[in-house]
Amino acid sequence: MRTDDLIAELAGGGRRPGPSVPWLMALTVVAALAGSFLVMVLGPWGLRPDLHQAMRTGPFWMKAGYTLAFAVAGGLLVERLGRPGGKGRGGWAVLGLALAVIAALAAADLASTPMAGWHADIMGRSARICAFSITVISAPAFAACFWLLRRMAPTRPMLAGLAAGLLASGLGATVYGFFCQETGAAFTAIWYTSAMLIWPALGALLGWRLLRW
Amino acid sequence: MSLVASIDQVLIRPARRAPPAGTCARRGSRPVSDVEQRLKALMLLSLAGDATAETSLLGALATALRRYFARRLGDGAGEVEDLVQETLIAVHTKRHTYDVRAPLTPWVYAIARYRLADHFRRGRTRRETPLDEVGELVDAGDFDAAEARRDLARMLESLPEKQRRLVMDVKIEGRSIEETSRKTGLSASAVKVGVHRAVNALAKRFRDANG
Repeated sequence: MRTDDLIAELAGGGRRPGPSVPWLMALTVVAALAGSFLVMVLGPWGLRPDLHQAMRTGPFWMKAGYTLAFAVAGGLLVERLGRPGGKGRGGWAVLGLALAVIAALAAADLASTPMAGWHADIMGRSARICAFSITVISAPAFAACFWLLRRMAPTRPMLAGLAAGLLASGLGATVYGFFCQETGAAFTAIWYTSAMLIWPALGALLGWRLLRW
Repeated sequence: MSLVASIDQVLIRPARRAPPAGTCARRGSRPVSDVEQRLKALMLLSLAGDATAETSLLGALATALRRYFARRLGDGAGEVEDLVQETLIAVHTKRHTYDVRAPLTPWVYAIARYRLADHFRRGRTRRETPLDEVGELVDAGDFDAAEARRDLARMLESLPEKQRRLVMDVKIEGRSIEETSRKTGLSASAVKVGVHRAVNALAKRFRDANG
């Protein structure tokens, strides 16, 4: 086909541009949260029984703030890396800041605990199920975020997949916070963080293969 | 300077390069180039549904892109026009990912570079096919048409229903774009873009299946 004809076809087709990026992202976040929440309440997790009291305590919001910061970082990155040529410096900065803050809180926590209590602090009561649960609960969120990137145009598919993983894990881990009764900063820093890096790693691998266009 | 020549410069040397030595460009005070302004204005109009603006925009970009790709692949390389068209299709179908707060030319440049990288990636895969394997293929003279038809059918089945029907109509049954457009109720450009995508997807699948 001649290029001029192609241009006439493209421009004259009367097709509206795809949905705007903010709208797509809002849709994705709602779908991701709904999906993760459904998996949690229909799966073997449910809501923590003391949710009402817990929501009036600091540790609950410390954890929620940390996991939401991951989601915000991932969201900023997806928004930039999903567009041709996007780099997403702001997202990396938020991610770095969140990691620095949780590391500082965990260090302060451990410093004020006698060494004999460190093991209990770090392992909590649910270390064994934490990473697995967060990964499973984040799975529908990851599907939504990956779908979002397929609708966009990432020119760095690996990084974009990683960003989708960060956004999905951040949202999924925030949902998991409504089940998980752990309160320690050291627990959160170690188990939540490693759990929230699983989807980004898978996302980078999947993105490399599946986000090309 | 003609519009096209200056677009070309903008595309080949994207806005974010360092200022040439000797100029005293303060950060943030760099004048937005005239071409960038005109192209962006056309883009904003086409995002609002102005077909005439989009025709001008894609036309101007086509000329600049042709030079951009020719400079990298050598003049007269057969792939240049394919890459120009692929990039134009991407500019059109991915235009919702353009951030209207940012300049347009770096966005187009990123798409062009991505298409070029993709082109090299595909090329490399082909070149890496060992020669003795090629010999085996040629020797397999009993590679009969029935088998080819079966492979084609299997490949087609892997496409989404809508795309498959478009390929069947246009490429296999030989209907015209207009006929298919009437038959499916899709616009002519939607048919063309659909077929283009489907063929790309098939080609990719074929490459993947062959190593």
